[in-house]
Amino acid sequence: MKKSTVFDIKAGIMFALPGLLVFFLVVIIPFVYGFYLTFTDWNGVSQVKSFVGIRNYIDTFKDTEFWSSMWLTLRYVLISVLLVNIVAFFMAYLLSNGIKGQNFFRAGFFTPNLIGGVVLGFIWKFIFSNVFTAIGKSLGAEWLSKSMLSAPKTAYFALILVTVWQLAGYMMLIYIAGFTGLSHDVLEAASIDGATGMRRMRSIILPLMVPSFVICIFLTLSRTFMVYDLNLTLTKGGPYASTRLVAMHVYEKAFTSRNYGVGQSEALFLFVIVAIISGIQVWMGRKKEVAA
Amino acid sequence: MKKSIAFISFVLAMLLIVTGCSKGSNDSSSSATAKTVDGSKVSITLLNSKGEIQTGLEKIAAQFEKDKGIHVEVIACGAGEVPYTKITTMYNSGNAPTLAILDPTDIVGLAKEYALELTDQAWTAETEALNLTIDGKIYSFPFCVEGRGIIYNKEAIESTLGREFDPKSINSYSSFKAILEELRKKGMENPVFIAKEDWSLGAHQLGFIYDAYDGTTAGSEVIINELKAGKDPLTVDRFNQFVATMDLMLEYNFAKADPLGADYDQGALELACGNVAFWPNGCWAWPNLVEGGADVNGEFGFISFVLGDDTSDFANNMIQASASKQIMVDKVQSTAEQQAAAKEFINYLVYDANGQKMFVEETALIPAAKNNPNAPLDPLGKDIAERTAAGLLYTSCFIAPSDHWSVMGAAMQKYISGNSSKADLASALSQYWKAQN
Repeated sequence: MKKSTVFDIKAGIMFALPGLLVFFLVVIIPFVYGFYLTFTDWNGVSQVKSFVGIRNYIDTFKDTEFWSSMWLTLRYVLISVLLVNIVAFFMAYLLSNGIKGQNFFRAGFFTPNLIGGVVLGFIWKFIFSNVFTAIGKSLGAEWLSKSMLSAPKTAYFALILVTVWQLAGYMMLIYIAGFTGLSHDVLEAASIDGATGMRRMRSIILPLMVPSFVICIFLTLSRTFMVYDLNLTLTKGGPYASTRLVAMHVYEKAFTSRNYGVGQSEALFLFVIVAIISGIQVWMGRKKEVAA
Repeated sequence: MKKSIAFISFVLAMLLIVTGCSKGSNDSSSSATAKTVDGSKVSITLLNSKGEIQTGLEKIAAQFEKDKGIHVEVIACGAGEVPYTKITTMYNSGNAPTLAILDPTDIVGLAKEYALELTDQAWTAETEALNLTIDGKIYSFPFCVEGRGIIYNKEAIESTLGREFDPKSINSYSSFKAILEELRKKGMENPVFIAKEDWSLGAHQLGFIYDAYDGTTAGSEVIINELKAGKDPLTVDRFNQFVATMDLMLEYNFAKADPLGADYDQGALELACGNVAFWPNGCWAWPNLVEGGADVNGEFGFISFVLGDDTSDFANNMIQASASKQIMVDKVQSTAEQQAAAKEFINYLVYDANGQKMFVEETALIPAAKNNPNAPLDPLGKDIAERTAAGLLYTSCFIAPSDHWSVMGAAMQKYISGNSSKADLASALSQYWKAQN
């Protein structure tokens, strides 16, 4: 017995070591180094880094643009997470009832997720600024002949629209897996007890699907919080910096304004906020999970 | 037990090999740049931040190797990659390029720590007015001259007006306004194109308030320091004149209905096709104009970005041109041999007949060195060359913090889309500079 425990630990180390090492090299060390940089005034290239204490953290609190882009991001995350999951759930529901061409639709909805955010951004930028406007002009519809990307509100909406389009297909797959995994016994028992339609959905399916919700909401939360590629290629933060989400703001602070210290400390704030929100979400979701 | 130890050591060995390999490959790549390749040939690297001349530079490098026996590897800075970020990464990874083509602002940021002083080089006499001096010393070679103003399409103007057009006749706000009115009357409803890009609006258009202060870089520093000290932009003549000209162009803006939907590429297209007559931009736009269908021998050129009504004002008769790209030589990570080779490459561009000719023909840039006898080939370059000869250029090149174009570009976008007033723009400008103290 004892021998096998020792052996288990050894085996565990053996398998975990390479992963741990890589994790340590590419995540932990840069993280600690980044933390160190928040106490310096480094400009990204200079050989000297002078220690400035907590000045960068004070600057972070004073940086109103950071907090306004944080607020913008929080709203973006909330709307996107809701829309992505609602759309994905209903697509999954429709596409797991054996309708005709089901697999074709599944593949079709999933495809946007295979295109990288950068390419996706450029494609949609072209659609919003050239295709829609051309249609609008030929129809004489004034509201459609202006690019959606040229006014703050519509550009923000465009950003959300593309996010939903990109992520919904991926989440749909997870929900489909959830639906497929539903126990037929339970569903049958429910129908014998007379539960149909909305009642069946609310009391049987939704509680059993909670694990899928937890995963999907976690994935959408983290992906929308950290979005940068789409933001860069679709709106470039414009018009006039009105759609600059927080990841982009941090990048600009560090690289365009050449202020690594403040950029790093803002990134740290972002990390803490995302960690807290995702943590709460997973914890609350797990509490709601039920066994079939 | 033995088995597991054997396995652990196997894993560790694999890891060592993997890390060893990557280290080895680093070494070999840096030794390719650090020492000689085959014992006799020096090899250097050149970071190119002007994507459009990559092939041209590679051809020059090949010819240089043939003539001088020094291998130059041209490293491209990818489209959308910020040159400063790229060189920062290269320095931090111990892989700095021997030569780097950068913007003046970047040179100022790097010079004292990393750039070799070049004050004693002979070519400084050939590039005198365009030299970038930092505390009285020169750390970079002015690579090329770029000018900006308002580009016109002569054919489009003449065919609309039905008369000859003399670009020199546009030398004040009023004369510009008069021709725009005339064009509108004769059927060209909106003859000006304003591109929405923040770099164009923030650095190139708004930049006139600094550059046109008195036409020198020192003058641009004066006005910048005044703004930093809290001077209200609304009391600055150049600011008021600039906004007046901007307002005039916005009145005749081709993309009036949707100013922030009008991008640079469309601007090139509309001007090349003659749908608009004027486009405030610079000589770098020529390749884009050609892509848009402009005739290589077409009649394009510059009028001044008019400021105010004084026809004798230099800003209304000259256009701004400066060495917008500079080459610095690394002094920290390169060997003495490589530094000498880098200096030789610069001399090759300035003095060697092949180098001079290829510079103009392969890159289509305007050389900063005045001893180069080869004339530029495109109309915009020709215009600048003629102005150089006639002394109709002012060479101010304002130096602003690296986020100036992005912050003020956003403020300008807000202004051209009608979402902010002149007072708002002034206060954004004032706030930006006050925060730099």
